[in-house]
Amino acid sequence: MTLPGANPLSALAPDLPPLKSIDFKPPAGDRVVLDNGMVVYLMKDNTLPVVHVTAFIHTGKLNDPADKIGLGELTAGLLKDGGTEKYKPGEIDRKLEFLGASVETSIGNEEARADMTALKKDLDEVLDIYAQVLMKPAFGTDKVKIKRDEALETINRRNDDPGRAAMREAVRRFYGPDHPYGWRAETGTVNAATIADMKAYHANFYRPNNIILAAAGDFASTGGMLAKLKKKFGNWPKGEVKFPAIPPVRIEGKRHIYHIEKDIAQTFIVMLQKGVKRLDPIEYPLTVTNEMLGGGLSSRLAAEIRSRKGLAYSVYSYFAKKPDYGYIVGYCGTKPETYSQALSEMLKQFKLIKSEPAPAEEVDRARDSIVNSFVFKFPTPFELITERAAYEYYGYAPDYLDNYVESIAKTDPAAVLETAKKLFKPEDAMLLVIGSSKKFDKPLSDFGPVTELKEED
Amino acid sequence: MNALALLPVLPLCCASLSAAREDKDALPAGASMEKDPKYPPVVSYTLKNGLQLLILEKTFVPTVSFTMLFKVGNVDNPQGKTGLAHLFEHMAFKGTKTINSSGYDKEKAALDKVEAAAQALLAGEAASPPDAKKLEELRAKFNEAEKEADKLIIKDEYLKIYNTLGENGMNAMTSTDYTGYVVSLPASRLEAWMIIESDRFKNAVLREFYKERSVVMEERRMSESDPNRVQWEALFSNAFRAHPYHNPTLGWMDDIKSLTRTDAENFFAQYYVPGNATLSVIGDVKAAEVIKLAEKYFGGWKGRPPAKRAYAEEPAQTAEKKVEVTFKAKPSLRIGFHNPGMDSPDIYALLMVSEVLSNGKTGRFYKNLVEGRQLALYAGSYFSTPGNRYPSLFVVAAAPKAPHTLDEVDAAVMEVIERLKTVPPTQWELDKILNNYEADMIRQLESNPGLGMNLAHNQQVMGDWKYEWKIGSELRKVKPEDVSKAAAKYLTRANRTAVFLREPAAE
Repeated sequence: MTLPGANPLSALAPDLPPLKSIDFKPPAGDRVVLDNGMVVYLMKDNTLPVVHVTAFIHTGKLNDPADKIGLGELTAGLLKDGGTEKYKPGEIDRKLEFLGASVETSIGNEEARADMTALKKDLDEVLDIYAQVLMKPAFGTDKVKIKRDEALETINRRNDDPGRAAMREAVRRFYGPDHPYGWRAETGTVNAATIADMKAYHANFYRPNNIILAAAGDFASTGGMLAKLKKKFGNWPKGEVKFPAIPPVRIEGKRHIYHIEKDIAQTFIVMLQKGVKRLDPIEYPLTVTNEMLGGGLSSRLAAEIRSRKGLAYSVYSYFAKKPDYGYIVGYCGTKPETYSQALSEMLKQFKLIKSEPAPAEEVDRARDSIVNSFVFKFPTPFELITERAAYEYYGYAPDYLDNYVESIAKTDPAAVLETAKKLFKPEDAMLLVIGSSKKFDKPLSDFGPVTELKEED
Repeated sequence: MNALALLPVLPLCCASLSAAREDKDALPAGASMEKDPKYPPVVSYTLKNGLQLLILEKTFVPTVSFTMLFKVGNVDNPQGKTGLAHLFEHMAFKGTKTINSSGYDKEKAALDKVEAAAQALLAGEAASPPDAKKLEELRAKFNEAEKEADKLIIKDEYLKIYNTLGENGMNAMTSTDYTGYVVSLPASRLEAWMIIESDRFKNAVLREFYKERSVVMEERRMSESDPNRVQWEALFSNAFRAHPYHNPTLGWMDDIKSLTRTDAENFFAQYYVPGNATLSVIGDVKAAEVIKLAEKYFGGWKGRPPAKRAYAEEPAQTAEKKVEVTFKAKPSLRIGFHNPGMDSPDIYALLMVSEVLSNGKTGRFYKNLVEGRQLALYAGSYFSTPGNRYPSLFVVAAAPKAPHTLDEVDAAVMEVIERLKTVPPTQWELDKILNNYEADMIRQLESNPGLGMNLAHNQQVMGDWKYEWKIGSELRKVKPEDVSKAAAKYLTRANRTAVFLREPAAE
């Protein structure tokens, strides 16, 4: 068997049928809007006696008050842990844990979630707890103290893992420590959030008209499941949700280096550039471009910095979409003694892809890789229906998923070049580096003006 | 509610399997489908060369998940060559005689030159005292040889083929006990996978070895920068003195530095044999088709017994070991107690000990340390780490919540354990655990790659793909007093190694 590199697949063994395109249209599922405005997605799946529910609550850490950063996280974390009007906290834990069921509530930068899993036989019992948790949390004083102490201790430990710290601090410096896209909770802001604040936060954001819920699993019929949900949530009154104004992002857009001195075996480098707004269709060619540049082990960054030069284990790029400008990341962990080689190569690869047209074969492969693995967005009916709910939540057109493959498939080498030219400005990228400068092979200042930060800053 | 009344209720996981089968879907002689409704209807088949197949048809999306799992891991490294199993795993992505190569005959000669130059360089580096000038020459010669060999490579072709096929989750993992290779593909790529992977394990060529060795050194540095990994490594290397569970799977840096391509080739020849592997295939495929193609492509893989293995048994620990690790991170605690191994009848009670202590917010650690006394940020346990092939450790991980100290948390952890020795769990505590176990067994069927890894691991390492279901029935036999007895027997001071990670003193 020979597999020449130019077109590897055509040379697979002669008895292999040509690769077929993947024929999978994701099922739509059912979408219903309750009278109180709650959007419900449903899909029946009788393969296993399990039911999953998730809810997207339209808020996020970016909606915290500036002097109470952490309020959203405390509120979300306490919906279950703080008990409800009907159930004491200990009672919830005992019931759920005895049944092997789970109800978990959490918050990210731009979304709050409430997840539930139950065996079919326990659905009614667990769904009742889940609904109470969403609608009627009690924020018990003892539990608030435990949750707050946990948040404070987590702040205390936030620099333990330098790889994670590097990414967090880079984004914080990129948007500025005072902008909701970049800020982080501090001891003072967590301590400032009162139980009254949590109740008010819940009353404002946790409203049916501010929630998209998705359920899939072993129910007899979608109509039956919908009736259960209506019974639990139907009387939850609508409410006007007040969203704080998020100031427009201001990105400096010129080279600046932040360095945090730490005596560790590896140096962690994060490179950030201005990215794209969430609904900008440039995401399609950018997805292909990123796949080529830093999307996997055969991408340019991994091939050059990892496989060819042996300078890193972890090296990649990606982009984060936001309502306002997102960011484009290059990331690398490398030894301090040769860090400048890895960093120079990373900068060089961002420059190369915007200055020379990519070979068509490389663009085809990146595109095929995305198109042919599209089906993996939906490994189970629950994940499929959750994707649909998520895209609605983030404001995409209803047929976004259905047209995704076609939109990606339009990307050609010219589109990649144009996208890279428009978005990549490695010479102006912000860099954040955590590492032991005593071992650096070159001073960081060779790459631009440096501001020294302390871990505690 | 009595959990025992609920058992066993595991359903068939694929409605489609009850449909009438066409002839072409009929299973060949030697293949059998599990009929007992307690288990998923897995089809088992063993090739003449010893390769075991496990196939489960699941049809929601047209995808298929593969796990090829070998019973070879970090314990199987030769003396002084820790990390070799893991480095080999990296090398298994570097192609074959036909993939990643522009022509193997020519390339082989070039690779042999690289190897000779690498070994000369290693010998030079080991010389005492080192000869700086000679070392420089040896390094130049090595670089030159590598450069020549690189010209004959088709770079990353193996990876690129999978990109085009539409892979998802392509990865590999090395543990103390096993090495697994995983990928999911659109289901129509079944035969492509068979062609590529049979070639991979029959004809692997370990090109770009010395660059990948540098990548692994970076992986090691990443690990050395992470206090959590540093602390686990300190626990295993101190708890085990003689048995190879002492060694980190990444390898000791000094060992990695001296690994050669020849080492990796020998390792490959010794352990990567079909009788040492299980292949699980889960997804939208027909079992008969999988078997037919496996026969076609893997049938010619020459069977031979894997190398014999005999490792020093860990001598009984007779006194407590306390280890201090200084690292710029907030304090945390890791404790290990030697367990009797998975073959011991005590292991089921010990698993229950772990669950009684740390299953959820109603577990004793959470109730006592996090919620009650509010000393700890977290406290958890697991009954068998870092492996299952040999007696291993029952471990506890905990961290204090400031201003409480590591020593307070340690004392409190031991108090909760002591109490369990005298106050057996209630029936409620045990039933809760059994219910959770059962729910987990159902939920694990949801993820194709997760299930595939689980089945292959249990078949190849534990000897039976139904292993976890069988543990479930053993757990049901455990009585409350058995749990206390197991805690009293194994979670003792003399059997304990505790690692305290603390920040350096302020300058």
